[in-house]
Amino acid sequence: MRLDFNLTSNIENNVLVIKTEGYINNDGGEKISKEFEEHFTKGINKVLIDIKSSKVINSIGISYLIEIIEKLNEKNGSLYFCNMDSTIEKTFNIMGLFQFAKKVDSVNEIE
Amino acid sequence: MDKRIKLEIKLPLVKDIELVAIEGLELMGRHLQIAEEKIGEARILITEGIINAIEHSENTTPFIDVHFIMNIDALVIIITDYGKGFDPSSVENPEIDKKLSSNYKRGWGLKLMREMSDEFKIDSSEKGTKITITKNLR
Ligand SMILES: Nc1ncnc2c1ncn2[C@@H]1O[C@H](COP(=O)(O)OP(=O)(O)OP(=O)(O)O)[C@@H](O)[C@H]1O
Ligand SMILES: [Mg+2]
Repeated sequence: MRLDFNLTSNIENNVLVIKTEGYINNDGGEKISKEFEEHFTKGINKVLIDIKSSKVINSIGISYLIEIIEKLNEKNGSLYFCNMDSTIEKTFNIMGLFQFAKKVDSVNEIE
Repeated sequence: MDKRIKLEIKLPLVKDIELVAIEGLELMGRHLQIAEEKIGEARILITEGIINAIEHSENTTPFIDVHFIMNIDALVIIITDYGKGFDPSSVENPEIDKKLSSNYKRGWGLKLMREMSDEFKIDSSEKGTKITITKNLR
């Protein structure tokens, strides 16, 4: 059921790819942040969030993503999103998130 | 025949309870064959409105009231809490570049509701807050 948040991650071409599933609320955001930190401290500075299986997100969850962007910026890194549902894309657009994060079709697009 | 359908629920102040309202929204939308995109946007409106009512209002009742009135043209969402109220004009408009260097990364809910909706009204007093959101569905 959509209540449960889950993620899986792997590294492809030096990019941390995080696939999310379920509601990105406070807990979801925290889990993404934790996964990010674990790799960020080891030098990863490119992160792709595959958000396909998350249909619901809230502003608290998003605040964790903004924190990730801030940390990546400091290390000349970037946050990328793929498989975004149109509502989430519109939400990020309203917030101006794409000034600091990028949309891609897949990990292969990331240099 | 009036094709309006309504949902009136009292939601307890429980984590993630907004998902119950969203479930109702989705079933109503399916019944009236509303476009998925519009329902998706309404989802954000409802989520942010309910979370604010639960998180910020210091509600004096053990519930908040959520009403949906939907027809094929529009959805009206009314979220009422019985808390302390607030002055919306004193809330700063968030900007992403400022948020990036600020400790408080939040403060987006009202902006999202305002921009994702077609009409957005806040009535707030020390007895509580009622937000009325209209979302066109065509
Ligand atoms: N129902 C409410 N009762 C009392 N105060 C409210 C209510 N809704 C909003 N506020 C006040 O308005 C502020 C801004 O709300 P807004 O939803 O924009 O941001 P936020 O809830 O602080 O963060 P975010 O929505 O990004 O998680 C809140 O911090 C709170 O002080
Ligand atoms: Mg809010």
